[in-house]
Amino acid sequence: MLWPSSRTSCCATRIACSKPMEKAVNQATLPPKLPPAFERKVEVRGFLQWINAPERRGALLVTPALATLFLINILPLLWSFGLSFFNYRANRLTAPKFQGLENYTDLLGDDRVWERFVTTGLIVSSSVALQLLIGFGLALLFAKKFPMRRLALMFVLTPMMLSFVSVAIFFKLFYDPTLGMLSWFISLFTGESFALLATPAGAIAGIVIADAWMWSPFVMLLVLAGLVSVPGYLYEAAEIDRAPSWKRFRTITFPYVKSLLLLALLFRTIETFKTFDLVFLITEGGPGSTTETIAIYAYRLGFQFFRTSEASALAYMILFVVIVLTSIYLYVVKQRNASEGV
Amino acid sequence: MTRFSEMGALLSATILAGSAVAAEDITIRMAAPDWGPTRFMQDHANETYTAPSGNNVKLEIDFIPWPNFFDRVNASLNSGEQKYQILVSDSQWLGTFIEAGHFMKLNDHIAEDAELQAIIKDLHPALVSGYSTYPNVPADKIAEMGNYAPDVNYYGFPQFPDNYFTYYRNDLFCDEGENAAFKEKYGSELPCAAEDWDSVTWDDWGNFGEFFTRKAGETLAGQMLGSDFYGIAYQAGKPLDFSTMQINAFFWQWGGGIWDEANEPNAPVLGVVNSDENVAGFERYLELLNYAPPIAKTGQMGIFEIQDLYMQGKIAAIIDWAALAAPVVDPATSQVADVTSFGMMPGNMLNGTLDRSANLGGQPFVLTTWNDDLVVAEALDLVKWWLSEDTQIAAVKAGGQSGLTSVLENPDYDSWAPWNATYRKSLPWQKDLWHVPEMFEMLTQQQEEFDRAITGQVSAREALDAVAEFQDELLRDADRLQ
Repeated sequence: MLWPSSRTSCCATRIACSKPMEKAVNQATLPPKLPPAFERKVEVRGFLQWINAPERRGALLVTPALATLFLINILPLLWSFGLSFFNYRANRLTAPKFQGLENYTDLLGDDRVWERFVTTGLIVSSSVALQLLIGFGLALLFAKKFPMRRLALMFVLTPMMLSFVSVAIFFKLFYDPTLGMLSWFISLFTGESFALLATPAGAIAGIVIADAWMWSPFVMLLVLAGLVSVPGYLYEAAEIDRAPSWKRFRTITFPYVKSLLLLALLFRTIETFKTFDLVFLITEGGPGSTTETIAIYAYRLGFQFFRTSEASALAYMILFVVIVLTSIYLYVVKQRNASEGV
Repeated sequence: MTRFSEMGALLSATILAGSAVAAEDITIRMAAPDWGPTRFMQDHANETYTAPSGNNVKLEIDFIPWPNFFDRVNASLNSGEQKYQILVSDSQWLGTFIEAGHFMKLNDHIAEDAELQAIIKDLHPALVSGYSTYPNVPADKIAEMGNYAPDVNYYGFPQFPDNYFTYYRNDLFCDEGENAAFKEKYGSELPCAAEDWDSVTWDDWGNFGEFFTRKAGETLAGQMLGSDFYGIAYQAGKPLDFSTMQINAFFWQWGGGIWDEANEPNAPVLGVVNSDENVAGFERYLELLNYAPPIAKTGQMGIFEIQDLYMQGKIAAIIDWAALAAPVVDPATSQVADVTSFGMMPGNMLNGTLDRSANLGGQPFVLTTWNDDLVVAEALDLVKWWLSEDTQIAAVKAGGQSGLTSVLENPDYDSWAPWNATYRKSLPWQKDLWHVPEMFEMLTQQQEEFDRAITGQVSAREALDAVAEFQDELLRDADRLQ
């Protein structure tokens, strides 16, 4: 095989080369037959020159990353998507059996799945609302200068840097009715120990508080970025106009942080929707199954019940919900940009 | 030297030299939970084990923390990496991994090996039934056939046998003032010596719970309490099997039971799992939680939580596994180390006898299916070493338990650890949970329903009806019920 680069080496440009001339040059400069090792060397060098050409270099550089991504991400995703149409258990010796949409229809008709979706929705809506509220409040606080602000900011940011396991164990001990601080504090007033996690509502509140404690600083960071970008002259002008503080917030501050707040809402909704660690470690889904999120149920299906293909189908249902949430966000942003003429 | 003897000497030298050259380096890799019984096995193997074959056999245990143990073992087995030659397995996992083709059936090897047969015959029948047989053969039938019968399928051997019993504060139960007050209120005496617990019923247990539950500021054995004190506790946790293990004891002791896997497909679920006897036993279990620490109300009172609260001196008596007893009597980890004694778990009077049926704990170890003949032979030699009398006695002296009757009958056995006599007396009462692959689904759903009842969301009857309905449907789908 003759590589294109070795072809160009025989003459400066293809236009200038004519077939008889090419033949004449070859006959004049090269021996009639090259040794095989030398020919191979020329071929390899030619291939390297061809592949290293500037127009191919970009593709060459991203190929390893793409190949890795395909192997460890795309391929398993496609594989599990295919598996979701089969009847397969990873712990059985039987081969997968195609059954079409049966896993999806079974899951959609399963009360346990809907119950877990409702629980997840309840935790997501409560926790994200609380995070936005606290995060916004903290951002307003830290947007102003005050003594020891940097130190206070560092402490406020600490929870989101901790691992889920540390936070979950901390809150589990905090809520413990015999040894925990919460129970001790409440018993000062009631004289009785307090078991927050003993009721479904209390257990959901316990998870929401832990999640909001961990992630409100994230919302604060995003909102703070918006707040510091508000030009000072707008506030000065508002002050001259004697605009009340609520109007200043509504017409100056909020428009600047709105898009970042929406971004925080999206990120936190998607993340909280997939909540596993905190819930599993604090309540294990109890009392009963009242705090069992859809992510925990998918884990149980896949790794405790070994219903591998059903777990794959449920994972794609969760992915579908996340895509819908993202699409709603993008639609809202697009509508807003259109109305503002951006 | 004659020519004949010269040739003999040459032949012997050749054989010896040959065997020295042929000695192979073999590593037996074992997956095991990271705790005392397996740490001891590794250390003792390093110190004492020499393969009888002459090969250089090394036991290499992969210590995995308990909370991740199942996930890691499950991932390793189902990924096909074939990493381990031996595994510690919970007895309930047997069906799952046997039917997946990962655990090796040992019948042919046992049939050819008189030493292995002798070990099986020497084991307690409850352990052979729970740890080795699949499909499961109940302990009474195993005992009838002398533990060994070629038509029973054998898979595992005991790595660490375990059962649960009472840990109690002898400074409270033997206190004269407390005893007098108890006698005045209930008309009977507090059990002080370990033998006194042999006649304790769940009614007595409830009385102990009520009697010793005190508020901060009240006195206990002459001392003013700085914080609330609780009478009794046992497992009532949603994670793993932390309520099932204790509740099963109440089912059996009240004359009820669980789905009988040994009689599938003819063993019914409906009417058994939600029988009147089971409901009565479960109701009694729930009533007694009133005298437990408030964590019981959250459904998170697992084996470690009650051990922890007991070691902090907050409970008068608990029921927990033998495996968790060592830290309780260690002054470095326990505030009640020097005032703790052990007695039998309470029982229920059933048909004129005090029934103390309980759920078997502990773990067997099993061989995997992908090993060649040489590795299998070496792994079985290792099993024989672990279940030899010398090794078992060393293990018990280090805080473990033995399943060999020859070791249990050793006159010094009870003196090797303060709970040994209780463990030995409890062993004949042990029964096991299911071993079928559907076990995980059954257990998870059952734990959820039990948790609903423990946290007061449903009654005992409603919880058991839901459990029975679920198990009936699941087992029918799996063709285990007609």
